[in-house]
Amino acid sequence: MSATQIAGRVAGVDAGAPIRQSSLWQDAWRRYLRNRGAVAAGILFLLIVVWCIVVPIVSPHDPNRIEFPDAYQGPSWSHPFGTDQFGRDLFTRAALGGRISIGIGFGATLAILLIGVAYGAISGFVGGKLDNALMRFLDALYGLPYLPFAILALAIIGTVNFWTMVVALSVASWFITARVVRGQIMTLKENDYVRAAYAVGVRWYMILGRHLLPNTLGVLVITIFLELPGVILGEAFLSFLGLGINPPDASWGSMAQDGRDAYRAHPHIIIIPSLAIATLVLCANFIADGLRDALDPRTKET
Amino acid sequence: MAAYIIRRVVWTVPVVLLVIFMTFTLMKQIEGNPFRKTERAVPAAVQANLERKFNLNKPWYVQYAQYVKGVATGDLGPSLVLRDRTVNDIVEEQFPRSIELGLLAFGWAVLLGVPAGVLAAMRPNSRFDYGSMLFSNVGFALPNFLVATLLIYFVSVKWGMLPTSGWTTWQHKILPSFTLGLVPMAYFARLVRGTMLETLQQDYVRTAKAKGLRRRRVLTVHVLRNSLIPVVTAAAPLLGYIITGSFIVENIFAVPGIGRYYVTAVSARDYSVVMGLTVLLSIIVIAANLVVDILYGILDPRTREART
Repeated sequence: MSATQIAGRVAGVDAGAPIRQSSLWQDAWRRYLRNRGAVAAGILFLLIVVWCIVVPIVSPHDPNRIEFPDAYQGPSWSHPFGTDQFGRDLFTRAALGGRISIGIGFGATLAILLIGVAYGAISGFVGGKLDNALMRFLDALYGLPYLPFAILALAIIGTVNFWTMVVALSVASWFITARVVRGQIMTLKENDYVRAAYAVGVRWYMILGRHLLPNTLGVLVITIFLELPGVILGEAFLSFLGLGINPPDASWGSMAQDGRDAYRAHPHIIIIPSLAIATLVLCANFIADGLRDALDPRTKET
Repeated sequence: MAAYIIRRVVWTVPVVLLVIFMTFTLMKQIEGNPFRKTERAVPAAVQANLERKFNLNKPWYVQYAQYVKGVATGDLGPSLVLRDRTVNDIVEEQFPRSIELGLLAFGWAVLLGVPAGVLAAMRPNSRFDYGSMLFSNVGFALPNFLVATLLIYFVSVKWGMLPTSGWTTWQHKILPSFTLGLVPMAYFARLVRGTMLETLQQDYVRTAKAKGLRRRRVLTVHVLRNSLIPVVTAAAPLLGYIITGSFIVENIFAVPGIGRYYVTAVSARDYSVVMGLTVLLSIIVIAANLVVDILYGILDPRTREART
């Protein structure tokens, strides 16, 4: 048998893996469902996302139309969350803002994963001196606050929109993800099946692409929900300071900024978007905990 | 250990240089120049003089080298917008307030967060445990501008107990520091609970109990001491939280500190101030990281082997 054939056989063995893999995910899914808090958080999270998608489409109110006679209304049947200082319906507008906030949240999280996986995979896979250098570099950067760098990034790009916010919020937030991925790759590299694959002459990129990276998927899924809260809060902070999404565009942060001046007489304008942020972040944290317990049962002790 | 410390210290130098370089390059890309934004036309000769005074006409690497030299000697250069002030003046005036705010916030966190975590771990799954973990989760999730607004709304406006904003008397300092301390508090409570539960399961704790030590002694000598190590290690990431939080908290409570000034400087396109403050904050975090890593090695001998 030639080396390629053996490699093919190995790949053939690998092709049997999806069955085992799906059972791994099924096990995790079953464990997740047993965690009532995490399930409730997951359902609430989905409800918020559905609310953000559906409400602006079906709502009778135009979230951007200014109606001064309707300004500063408290909650009522026609405006469940009341109206803001321009008479805009907050139920619809908060849903619209949620689209931007959650969208930026997932966009930046994805960017963080891409950078983190690239950096971590290179460091863990190549190993040796390069790994040492890359990790010492990360050690020193650890804990660097993302906000000044996000502000800088926005100042340089010069325009604030959905995509520039994604860039700004991911630019200094990927350090932890990179370290986690590197740790995973280092551990996985020691597995017998990886050694066997090397022994039969599988190319490095095949090993990385077929054996190592797919096995980090569990960790990455957890990372999504670990990073999401920080990014969503980051967007809110930037917009609240007037450096992010600007009115009339709505994000939860810019809506909170809108409500800032009227907080004494009409606190609901700042409370509603803030509570939306808090609920989403809380859900994401619970989902992350649930996923960690489900995907990595060894760490489940507390 | 010595080799580890030396290597760790040596590695911070290129990182600091790189952070300065990145900040520097980024600032060079920003459109607009503070000298051009006035409506009054500045004569070309004056413009050229100004640019020469601030080295804006030199090639970038000369500017970079001069800047690094400045940072190394503790000179962050002049402000480009405030004519009679240097970045150092601004730092000297505003930074102590931010440090005070940060320390007070940290104080709240240690004072309330650590005991909450300890008590929760001593009675796992009790009402107190659930209560403090719920508080911790909520503390993480609430955006601090909401916490600040609610505190001002109730404590200051409705009940009239504390001033709404400013930074003069100790009454002014309670609400901002508490708001800023909420996330570290939540973090400590959770962290201490986790490590303490873990420590309680260690063999040496079982041994201590088995040889008949009293519960109090086991808890203080064996459990608490080892559980508090992560509190030290958490200082570096917490510093990041506190810096990020201070941008919002100083803004809402009108605390004239660095976080608030940073935002003003960005809007005013005061490059040298933004650059100076970014570099300063980064160096502080990098230094804190270094200290924490070394302390960790000293406090927990088990990590020495693994980390070299």
